[in-house]
Amino acid sequence: MSAARIDEATLRRSVMVASPLAVLLAWQVLSAARVFPPEVLVSPQAVLAAFGQLTASGELARHLGESLQRLLWGFSIGSGAGLLFGLAAALSPTFARLFDPLFQALRQVPVLAFIPLLILLFGIDEVFKIVIIAKAAFFPTALSTLDGVRGVPKAWFEVARIYRTPLPSLVWRVLIPATVPAVLSGVRLSLTRAWLVLVAAELIVADSGIGQMMEMGRQMFRLDVVMVGVVVCGVIGFALDRGFVLLQARLLRWRAQPAGAAA
Amino acid sequence: MNIDSRAVVRTPEQPALRSGALQLKEVRKRFLFDQRELTVLTGLNLDVHPGEFLSIVGPSGCGKSTLLRLIAGLDDDYEGHIALDGSRVAGTSLERGLVFQDHRLFPWMTLEQNVAFALIRRDMSAAARDRLVREHIALVGLSGFEQAYPHQLSGGMSQRAAIARALVNEPKVLLLDEPFGALDALTRVHLQTELQRIWMSQGSTMIMITHDVDEALYLGDRVAVMQAHPGRIAHIVDVDLPHPRDRAAPLLHRLKDDILAELTATDAPRSEAVVPLTRRRSG
Ligand SMILES: Nc1ncnc2c1ncn2[C@@H]1O[C@H](COP(=O)(O)OP(=O)(O)O)[C@@H](O)[C@H]1O
Ligand SMILES: [Mg+2]
Repeated sequence: MSAARIDEATLRRSVMVASPLAVLLAWQVLSAARVFPPEVLVSPQAVLAAFGQLTASGELARHLGESLQRLLWGFSIGSGAGLLFGLAAALSPTFARLFDPLFQALRQVPVLAFIPLLILLFGIDEVFKIVIIAKAAFFPTALSTLDGVRGVPKAWFEVARIYRTPLPSLVWRVLIPATVPAVLSGVRLSLTRAWLVLVAAELIVADSGIGQMMEMGRQMFRLDVVMVGVVVCGVIGFALDRGFVLLQARLLRWRAQPAGAAA
Repeated sequence: MNIDSRAVVRTPEQPALRSGALQLKEVRKRFLFDQRELTVLTGLNLDVHPGEFLSIVGPSGCGKSTLLRLIAGLDDDYEGHIALDGSRVAGTSLERGLVFQDHRLFPWMTLEQNVAFALIRRDMSAAARDRLVREHIALVGLSGFEQAYPHQLSGGMSQRAAIARALVNEPKVLLLDEPFGALDALTRVHLQTELQRIWMSQGSTMIMITHDVDEALYLGDRVAVMQAHPGRIAHIVDVDLPHPRDRAAPLLHRLKDDILAELTATDAPRSEAVVPLTRRRSG
């Protein structure tokens, strides 16, 4: 019985690593077979070696640090503003009517389309990058907050009225907990979007950061460096999302865990 | 012992001993719906005695929930008079507790926190609060589940928890809107017995809406039978049996047949619905 369960867990874990391993294997086979020139399709070993060099020189850590700092600022500002906007729009019909058309229109414009304008306005300094990331992080949080607050069942407010709950308690103990699940799923999306946009923006214009490291690698035809960037981007993005899911599970302990949804 | 003192309280000779007398006079409730006016309750008169258990039965949509919401103070927009111990009902009050059909426990709070939430307006020490909460959780038989979240409780347990939350303020009147309507038959029977015990050990007046005539008769000192279109109390049946009751009592079965006969004869009320509408238009 318990042996069977262990086997099952091991099996599930092996399935999880199966697809990355398959990609790695295909990559190894393709590069060893010289289907593409080795300078173009660098071998996994070469990438590993480049990773070792970039780590030893501290270059990778510096770029990554820069990127994560930008992410922190842009994401916090964008998501925070989205939260406030969503709250205001949900609670004030006037505010919602005033900003809805602008909100809906801006939402449909890809972040990258703003880059030329923003460069003219802010140059290519930190402000520009943070604005871009904030824009990407703003919308998912704003939307989910708006829906979350609007969707709080009337039933909860009736219970609060029966016990004559004062307004601060109503907000802290009823409105916020009732809204948190929806808001968090929006924030999670914001975090993912922010990371993607950050790397893309750094690829286009930056003097540091993980995207810039990749762009320099490309210009110098160092595709091993580019590949290190690709892998690091994926791993960091994955780790950020996983971390957020863990935080979410911790904050929403009170929810029934759907079977097999363990993080 | 409890049972005896209970019986004494309910005799008309000593009505002033306990508060919790509810009086409804000519209560009328209209909803504006799609630009049209819908009269849901009209000419509703009712005197609920202190400490009494009153059951209300009636066809679905006849305005039972609406009536309870008026008494609870969730809806203040009505005509007529509703008073508890002589003072007019305005807004919600801790004197009037309400148990909904869906338990409405907050899923993000433990059982203990849910019950304590009802005491949010009460000025008392943390120790006194904890004691009250513990006592009421014990009263409904949920000791040991204080730290459980609602999703970890069964339907019957959740409804018990909702009753504990409503009783923790020791309201003069406890209103119950089909509290067991969503439960399976066995759990329902079990909770009816429990509710009878709780009512006998508490001082509250209780008014319970139900669509289960057996339940109404088993628990009620009186059963008010409502009719629809527009909603009103057709008549009130006295159930002259001491508590705790035996479900097999022949009187309960006889009364059940009468009430069911009345509830299923629904042709007359429909034509009556036209009368107040036309009268209002011409007047
Ligand atoms: N907020 C409302 N607006 C309009 N009509 C309502 C509202 N609440 C209830 N009603 C109507 O009042 C009638 C009685 O409803 P309700 O009191 O819930 O009935 P019951 O509880 O007896 O089944 C129904 O016809 C219902 O459609
Ligand atoms: Mg109802």
